Amino acid sequence: MTELIKTSPLSDAQKMMKPLMGSHRGMEVALSFEGPKAEQKHKTILGVTDVSCFARFGIKGAKAGEWLAQQGIKTPEALNTWVEGAPGTLVLRLGMSEFLVEDQLIGKACAKLQAFDQANIQSAYQVVRADAAFVLGGSEVLNLLAELCVLDLRDSVLPSNFVVMTQIAGISATLIRESLSGEQVYRIWCDGSYGLYLWEILIEIAQELGGGVVGLTCRFQ
Amino acid sequence: MSMRLPKQVGEWINRNKKIRFSFEGQEYTGYEGDTITSALLAAGVKVLGRSFKYHRPRGVLSLANHDINALVTDGVDTNIRADVTTLTDGMQLKAVNTDGGVIKDKRKYIDSISPLLPVGFYYKAFHKPARLFPFWEKVIRKAAGLGIVNFNYPRINKRKLNDFCDVLVIGAGPSGLSAALSAASNGLKVILVDENQHLGGSLTYDFAGEVASRKTLIDLVEKVSASLNIKVYTGAYAAGYYQDHMVPVVRADGITKVRAKAVIAATGAFEQPPVFHNNDLPGVMLGSAAQRMMYRYGVKPFNKGVIVTANAYGYRVALDLLQAGVNVSALVDMRAEDKQDAHALELANKGIQIYKGYCVYEALPSKGKLGVVGALVCPYDPLTATADVKKAVKLECDGIAMSAGWAPAGALLYQSGMGVVYNNNIQQFVPNRLPKGVFAAGRVNGVFDLEARVNDGLRAVAEVVNFLGGAVKALSVETHKGPSPSHPYPFVHHPKGKNFVDFDEDIQIKDFINAAKEGFDNIELMKRFTTVGMGPSQGKHSNMNAIRILAKIRNFPVEKIGSTTARPFFHPTPMGHLGGRSFHAHRLTAIHAWHQAAGAAFVDVGAWSRPAYYQKAGLSKEETVQQESLAVRLSVGMIDSSTLGKVEVCGPDAAEFLERFYTGIYADQKVARSRYVMLLDELGVMVDDGIATRLSQDKFFVTISTANAPMVYREMQRCLQVWKLNVTLINVTSAYGVINVAGPKAYQVLRKVVSIDLSEDALPVGRSAEAKISGVPVRIVRAAFVAKQAYEVYMPTGYALSIWKLLLESGKNEGIRPFGTDTQRLLRLELGHPLPGIDTDGLTNPFEMRADQALEMGKPFFIGKRSLEIISKKPLNKVLVPFVLAADYKGEMPQDCNLVIESGVIKGRVTSIGFSPSVGCVVGLAYVAPHQAELGSVFEIRTDNGKTAKATVVQAPFFNAE
Repeated sequence: MTELIKTSPLSDAQKMMKPLMGSHRGMEVALSFEGPKAEQKHKTILGVTDVSCFARFGIKGAKAGEWLAQQGIKTPEALNTWVEGAPGTLVLRLGMSEFLVEDQLIGKACAKLQAFDQANIQSAYQVVRADAAFVLGGSEVLNLLAELCVLDLRDSVLPSNFVVMTQIAGISATLIRESLSGEQVYRIWCDGSYGLYLWEILIEIAQELGGGVVGLTCRFQ
Repeated sequence: MSMRLPKQVGEWINRNKKIRFSFEGQEYTGYEGDTITSALLAAGVKVLGRSFKYHRPRGVLSLANHDINALVTDGVDTNIRADVTTLTDGMQLKAVNTDGGVIKDKRKYIDSISPLLPVGFYYKAFHKPARLFPFWEKVIRKAAGLGIVNFNYPRINKRKLNDFCDVLVIGAGPSGLSAALSAASNGLKVILVDENQHLGGSLTYDFAGEVASRKTLIDLVEKVSASLNIKVYTGAYAAGYYQDHMVPVVRADGITKVRAKAVIAATGAFEQPPVFHNNDLPGVMLGSAAQRMMYRYGVKPFNKGVIVTANAYGYRVALDLLQAGVNVSALVDMRAEDKQDAHALELANKGIQIYKGYCVYEALPSKGKLGVVGALVCPYDPLTATADVKKAVKLECDGIAMSAGWAPAGALLYQSGMGVVYNNNIQQFVPNRLPKGVFAAGRVNGVFDLEARVNDGLRAVAEVVNFLGGAVKALSVETHKGPSPSHPYPFVHHPKGKNFVDFDEDIQIKDFINAAKEGFDNIELMKRFTTVGMGPSQGKHSNMNAIRILAKIRNFPVEKIGSTTARPFFHPTPMGHLGGRSFHAHRLTAIHAWHQAAGAAFVDVGAWSRPAYYQKAGLSKEETVQQESLAVRLSVGMIDSSTLGKVEVCGPDAAEFLERFYTGIYADQKVARSRYVMLLDELGVMVDDGIATRLSQDKFFVTISTANAPMVYREMQRCLQVWKLNVTLINVTSAYGVINVAGPKAYQVLRKVVSIDLSEDALPVGRSAEAKISGVPVRIVRAAFVAKQAYEVYMPTGYALSIWKLLLESGKNEGIRPFGTDTQRLLRLELGHPLPGIDTDGLTNPFEMRADQALEMGKPFFIGKRSLEIISKKPLNKVLVPFVLAADYKGEMPQDCNLVIESGVIKGRVTSIGFSPSVGCVVGLAYVAPHQAELGSVFEIRTDNGKTAKATVVQAPFFNAE
């Protein structure tokens, strides 16, 4: 049996940059693009990291929250907020009855949730996801977002646990602000079919502002 | 001769850094901080451009971006505003709108034939005889100014950013600065915007000879700079006002869209010129322009000047000129009142001759009208706006400074919905009603005294604070005392005209009179007929005077005339700024790069980019499509259908939802079965179709056509909210890739890789099954859209590319070939399947498509049912029929949308057509009159060359050989 490779929405564009490739949770991913020195510099000024490979589990329905709680996943109480639902796992509440669970590099909750027999879940339905997802950080990150998003995303205005569902570069996207190893970063999710478009825009602006792409290795070292 | 003054306190230039540039082929030197105009003036250059229509020489008028006398090009940018564009090293500049240079312009003769070219002449000439119009059009287009568009303009990204604040203060003059400081001290986040390169507004040039008053400016600017709550944008203009206090601020390198909780417009006022014969000559300028020239750039406006004023401001200008060492011959005051203020006394004490109740009747031109050699001043009758030429006095001078009054810079306030009232004390429109959150301060608010302007900024902030929920004491500012800052009618009639009101468009007083005589005596009509205010200056120096003239003509008070509102952006903004970065949001499938590498020619379908066909060397598009279609008919082909809209309809009421949403029956649909779905709108018009597959008792999987998917999903959500059913909708369009494997050998290809039995018995058309390919879960749906033997394979998007490659490898021996959407269209046409959006339009109902079998009219409700019940009782106007052209047809190939004609009357149109190599002739679908729809009927299609092709109605499908 041929082993099939799972690809990121940005796979082809990233391969053209000749990165050091690896795999995470079965998905082929770019671990490093320009080496640690250059990427560290990007990270300081404006670094863009593709984290589409993170495992995700979406669930929607009247009892979605209740079911997640039964699985030991903490869920946000307020609409459009997020919490760390389990160690290394983010849980975003996208509406009254919809949640996005995402394992970070070390999280393990999604695999457990995926394994559950969906037929036995009452009044809640799995949302199969194929997001493109990014981490943006660095001193110029708000400068970049000022061009792509009409909302005020400054720390003083955007509470750190808010989930913003908005338009970024003209497409629907979800955004949060979080602290990653002490650094304030923004996380963006968009429909995977728009992933390449958004990636190219992010990289173009990042490069104009002195930043650039940051591989998974540098981002999470 | 250099006109550079000794260093001025607070000047904007850096005399330690020289800048070299050229103008009209001549080399010059300026200083860092100079504008193009100030550097040229310093070098003694007075003629900076030619006027738009008459090609009259023009020099400085406002030196403030309120006119376009000085437009230049550097060969790349078309219309550079020299008055405000900072000089840079190596600039090579030429005046625009000249033929042979600004001095020797070959078109200057137009000035002498101007009587033949009154306003509106082009409305009356050239259109008869019609055959000559193309000739005149060419002549006019060539003659019309201004610069020539550079079609090779480089793509320079101008960023469009978003910014936010509590208070946006527009204008950094005394009112704006005090407002910004006060707002900041109240804890508000402030953005302060000014079009100039430095803060201060009139505080940087209006001193009435007392340069010590600069201290007010220094104090304010220092405090603004020190405030952490104030962000300053200089060299940037607020170009428009939009809902919810959104104001685009245009910077040199882009646009910032500022969203504020409140806006204070401290935008000031535009100085207005008096109107007299030759008031446009180089050397004749606004008083404030002369002041700006001296104090900002250290340039003397002229050596010996006359000041003509119709208010107190001219006296201030005269004192400033004297302070700078300019010889002032006389001050001509159009007002007859004998009231003298301190400045008048000071001037008199300095020995300056003051002509009270006089006007400048005409400016006397030098040779070629390239400058001024004198002014003819006469006693002035304000009632008739005429001069007593018998008592004319000739004054020698090389420049005239003009001050007649002010027009509020109220464009943004008008756009916000401001109501105005005309204040006769100051002869100015002032706000009497402002929208919530919008405030005015300073001259635009009718406040002119310096101290009062500072206080008006504080007053506005108090109102802002209270508006934002604070509680501070309301402040008030004293109304204007003393003579009016603006003259009610600063015009001087002259038999030779050339007394210009609008300098952009060369519009004279008589043009308004003639327009009124023609019946254009409403301000909006007059504006359009005369084009006043329609030039690049957008009426900054002309609209108020135009209103005054019209009021006089109609014998109305000014307030009865009203004013026009400049649309946003009220100041011309480069297209590159408006375009910003090119955001072209597009969706790609996981297999896109493979398609590219395989030579796909792409087509946009909705937001998606899809392969239309895969180009082959030496083959035309039509040949390629036919080959791809033959592969499907004879062997096997596959298409990336990942772009299909896909929605999971879940919940106990899922079937009920579908029954209401679509026209068919779904309640009794068995699990793992698929059914056709047709969506109508409330009018019974066909909107979309697809397939609904039942995955479990409470879960359906519905496909939607690619382009309609976002709209249909939105409509599903809307209906769900209205119907309040127990349903959860999940849009999984991007979550699943889809590969459609079609053709007689599709089964052989798939069975090698799919984990389940796919034979016709196990999985006939209309069935679906869950399976695995190399361990990856997939769903297989039998749908006969492009071929009877076809399998739609759904897989998680992340595996789409791998499975695509696997299927290609699996089908190597069967000769599998990818095909695109153009081929797909031909294949489904061969099977006689109409496509919504292709074979339907915004009016097509299912009866016209002969899709009655998809309608379950016995259901209590579905969207559009009520309309269909009404439509069904009426005779049909058109019917969609399958047709063929004769196998030996040799005429021009009919195209989509070619008309079906009967006895010269349009009966319908072709919706799809193509040559089918499998059928061996041209096949198509067309709307025809019902009487033409019988099997075997022949109808005529008019082709693009005007000839007709005979088509025969046949039974679909065209192809039935599998």
